[in-house]
Amino acid sequence: MTVITPPETTIAPAIRTPRPTAFWRLKGFPLIPVLILVFIALVAIFADVLAPYDPTIGSLARRFRPPFWQEGGSMAYLLGTDHVGRDVLSRLIYGARVSMVVGITAVLVAGGIGTLLGILSGYLGGWADQVVMRLTDTWLALPALTFAIFLAAIVGPSELNIILILGLVYWTRYARVIRGEVLSLKQREFVRLAIVAGCSSRTIMWRHILPNVINSAVVLATLMLGVVIVTEASLSFLGVGVPPPKPAWGLMMADGKKGLLVGYWWLTVMPGLCIMLMVLSANLLGDWLRVKLDPQLRQL
Amino acid sequence: MATPSPGPTRRGVLGFSAAAALGIVPDTARAAPDGQITIASHVSLAPTWFDPAETAGIITPFMMLYALHDAMMKAMPGKPMAPCLAEAWTVASDGLSYAFTLRKGVLFHNGEPVTADDVKFSLERYRGASAKTLKERVACVDVHDAERLTIRLNVPWPDFLTFYASATGAGWIVPRKHVQQVREDGHKKAPVGAGPYKFVSFNPGVELVCEAFEGYWRKPPAIKRLVFKVVPDEATRLAALQRGEIDIAYSIRGELADELTRTPGLSVKAAVGSATFWLYFADQWDALSPWHDQRVRLATGLAIDHKTINQALTLGHSHLTNSVFPENFDFYWQPPAPVHDPARARKLLAEAGHPRGFEAGDYYCDASYANIGEVVINNLREVGIRMKLRPLERAAFFKAYAEKKLKNVVQGASGAFGNAATRAEAFVVKGGTYVHGSYPDIDAAFVQQAAETDRAKREAILHRLQQLVHDKAIFAPIWQQAFISGVGPRVGESGFGLIEGFPYTAPYEDLTLKGKA
Amino acid sequence: MKQYILRRIGYSLLSLFLLSLTIFLFVRVTGDPVALLTEPGASQEDIEAMHRQFGLDQPLWVQYWHFVASFITGDFGQSFYYRTPVLDLYFQRLPNSLLLAAVAMVLSLVIGIPSGILAAVRVDGFWDSAGKLFALLGLSLPQFWVGLVLILVFSVSLGWLPSSGSGTVWHLLMPAFTLGWYFAAAHMRLTRSSMLEVLGSEYIKLARLKGLPEALVIGKHALKNALIPVITLAGINLVVMINVAVIVETVFAWPGIGRLLYEGVTFRDFPVVQAVVVIGGSMIILVNLLIDILYALIDPRIRLES
Repeated sequence: MTVITPPETTIAPAIRTPRPTAFWRLKGFPLIPVLILVFIALVAIFADVLAPYDPTIGSLARRFRPPFWQEGGSMAYLLGTDHVGRDVLSRLIYGARVSMVVGITAVLVAGGIGTLLGILSGYLGGWADQVVMRLTDTWLALPALTFAIFLAAIVGPSELNIILILGLVYWTRYARVIRGEVLSLKQREFVRLAIVAGCSSRTIMWRHILPNVINSAVVLATLMLGVVIVTEASLSFLGVGVPPPKPAWGLMMADGKKGLLVGYWWLTVMPGLCIMLMVLSANLLGDWLRVKLDPQLRQL
Repeated sequence: MATPSPGPTRRGVLGFSAAAALGIVPDTARAAPDGQITIASHVSLAPTWFDPAETAGIITPFMMLYALHDAMMKAMPGKPMAPCLAEAWTVASDGLSYAFTLRKGVLFHNGEPVTADDVKFSLERYRGASAKTLKERVACVDVHDAERLTIRLNVPWPDFLTFYASATGAGWIVPRKHVQQVREDGHKKAPVGAGPYKFVSFNPGVELVCEAFEGYWRKPPAIKRLVFKVVPDEATRLAALQRGEIDIAYSIRGELADELTRTPGLSVKAAVGSATFWLYFADQWDALSPWHDQRVRLATGLAIDHKTINQALTLGHSHLTNSVFPENFDFYWQPPAPVHDPARARKLLAEAGHPRGFEAGDYYCDASYANIGEVVINNLREVGIRMKLRPLERAAFFKAYAEKKLKNVVQGASGAFGNAATRAEAFVVKGGTYVHGSYPDIDAAFVQQAAETDRAKREAILHRLQQLVHDKAIFAPIWQQAFISGVGPRVGESGFGLIEGFPYTAPYEDLTLKGKA
Repeated sequence: MKQYILRRIGYSLLSLFLLSLTIFLFVRVTGDPVALLTEPGASQEDIEAMHRQFGLDQPLWVQYWHFVASFITGDFGQSFYYRTPVLDLYFQRLPNSLLLAAVAMVLSLVIGIPSGILAAVRVDGFWDSAGKLFALLGLSLPQFWVGLVLILVFSVSLGWLPSSGSGTVWHLLMPAFTLGWYFAAAHMRLTRSSMLEVLGSEYIKLARLKGLPEALVIGKHALKNALIPVITLAGINLVVMINVAVIVETVFAWPGIGRLLYEGVTFRDFPVVQAVVVIGGSMIILVNLLIDILYALIDPRIRLES
């Protein structure tokens, strides 16, 4: 029974997992992007301490104050105020939290559903594979934003529902990639040995397959983070995103876009910069991880 | 002047400008139509709007009807029911028949004369809003000769002319021969009417091109070409206006409207239609709900800073009527003006057992008006009513509202045609589409007025009904909303505000370009 | 082989059926078109009349049958909003969408391929980083924002380009760039990975050993092979672009399929939504089918596996 080599050691050299301690010394390590992501995460965690004002309360009497360096701006509202008179800086700080939470959990939901279905479909084959693959095909044929609008109409808008919607819209990419990985893993020695040794399907999927697809899932996750955050902003543009007055970067951008033509540039440029920095960093990190962890992954 | 001065009342301004427009322009001494005006529409134009027979109970189709078609009588500058194709009419003393005489020598775009037979045809062909009511009550149309006809009713119907001339498209005339020749489909593709502008081309969802009809009876239009372009995004409309790509941009709200007042050459035009907005306390009949307490509902109304919101979102052009009934409706009762008094609101809340305010739950609204919800919620927070905004996509919102699935507080709105009674029927009285609960005295008053034939008595009952709605604080009214549009520098007479209560530019034959009038 | 192809076609039809059923139910569950074509508070009698006119008073399965029947006969029915045949609307918009997608695709390849090659050849050089950043930036900014900034700069401030609408080449530039930029990153990534793979292959090593100039090796031998998967992806993305340009089309008032769909959704114009989604979905399913069959032809193992 216990003759099987632990899969970890078997596959470690095969996928060239770098030793974690050497991460920062590796060539091309995206130091700046990682620092940016860490910074955003810290801001998100300590938003309560950092933000000077309540991000959801404003007063129409002080709407559209410009940032402090512009004429009419003041040190009281460093980055100005928005159309309801709320402090933009505070909203950006809390917005980091919303964006991080929405982005990461939506990616986890998508990744969770996709990885699970991908493994089931790839490993079990047969009807399970058929069901998952037909479902994926149908899903992919449905325009994502339209799909999201309908889902939003059914479940109603709230932060939680937006997360579920984004997860439900984007799981197919995981399912496809993971299924492909599993199909090739199935041909590998250690999986065959496990089957011969009489391990249950559940054990094999859980103990032998899952650890080996995690790399791909992680790479996909960093790349998907950006897609999810930008989609969340687009949903706000179409009026079905995170509901106001919640401070979310995407919502701030969509709300502030009108101000762009009117000279209230800070309303949309500030959250735009935040989204850009976060998504760009996630993408750069993802690209690097992909090269390091999984050079074979081409469908991304 | 970029903005109307805040001094005189709106009606005063309107009356003046209407008179001026009518006075300055003599009907005869005009040059041939020249130039082009491009109008950017906020909604996608539908071919159904080119056909009066299909007029649904919304205002948008009239944007097209005023250009392509003409009616027996219609709202015109200074007159809510001005004789147009009908020169004169008389009502029989029993109220059962209406005799019309047509204006002589009026032509359709294809050169054929407008006859009494076309009027009969148009009424019988009509299938839009309230078509069933019209069919049931109109017994027959007698055509005496080419210019005279009588419409006979089954029952006396005091509102008949209102329905015929303004609330429906039944009084807008299409040529029988042409329609029967090209069939319904052909008519929709290339409509022929008797209006000031001829149809040239249409690309659904993109643009409509019209050309001046020089034979128009009132006067030949001053502008040769009228182009309606569909520009769905508000900010893009403003950009196009700033660049001079378009001359008139419909629906420019909030800070974008601010910009209109600041940009030299551009101007703001506001018109208040019959769209009222309000908060509806859907759970007030549930004894366990905090909204069951009238003091809480009153406090909500007191917390809303109507004036500031009006200034911020519609540049102060909306009317703060404090009613869910539009002020331009028949049988309207004017409640006292809304008061913004946070201190009293807090006091009322404390009396109702919420000294520190309370978690007040969901606030549902149509996502296209989430901007109003956002500022109202901000107001409510200031007195301690803490609510969560739940903007629903428009279609989903109205479905849920009608199915009574929205709980707690709903930000409702309606711009439907009608009078105080029809508005009450849909939103206040038991059994209405958007009614979650009702009060027996109001229901009784409604039944009573429906059976009352004496107009003065009926009005008294309806006034009492509206007063009850106000006293019980069933709603917290927000405003009767102004529709704000932008006008570019080339335009002389923009046509906004000439016809009272009409949000779009009209009558089109009055539009001018600067230096060409 | 024949059996495999037949089975694949069967699967595709099944997907199409699921798609039609999904969209049919989604669009109906979430809103009533009549509530949007009339004002809230319209009389019950008018609402019922409209329901009858649109056939919405019939049981769901009857409505679904009408929809499937109309799809099979290629009719698609009449739009509720425009009251004209949906197919006419579709074909009026399709050329605009194709044009936008084609130009956007060219722009995205112009950005994506060179930056991808640079990323593969000159790892961590300045131009590599700059190219990569530029391509990724397109993915990192919401399209509505990019669109508005372009309008602000090129239409309002500089006055060079028209802000919206269609008709001339100038109208096309900003929407096509906005859409193309978003897709550039995907093409950059694929170009890079596929280039790296080709550069590591035997024949490139051989070419280098023969002493061919590096530029020739990369520009001619490597590129030719590396671009095959990129072109395949571009083909798929072209179909995707036609169907996902909603935001770009809304910002620039570009009259394409995306906006037709979006307006159909907002007005719950059932026939329009159903037709656009099913036609678009068919395109995507068809492309996937063709790719599957092609791969199976090239690599027989795939047939055996499934």
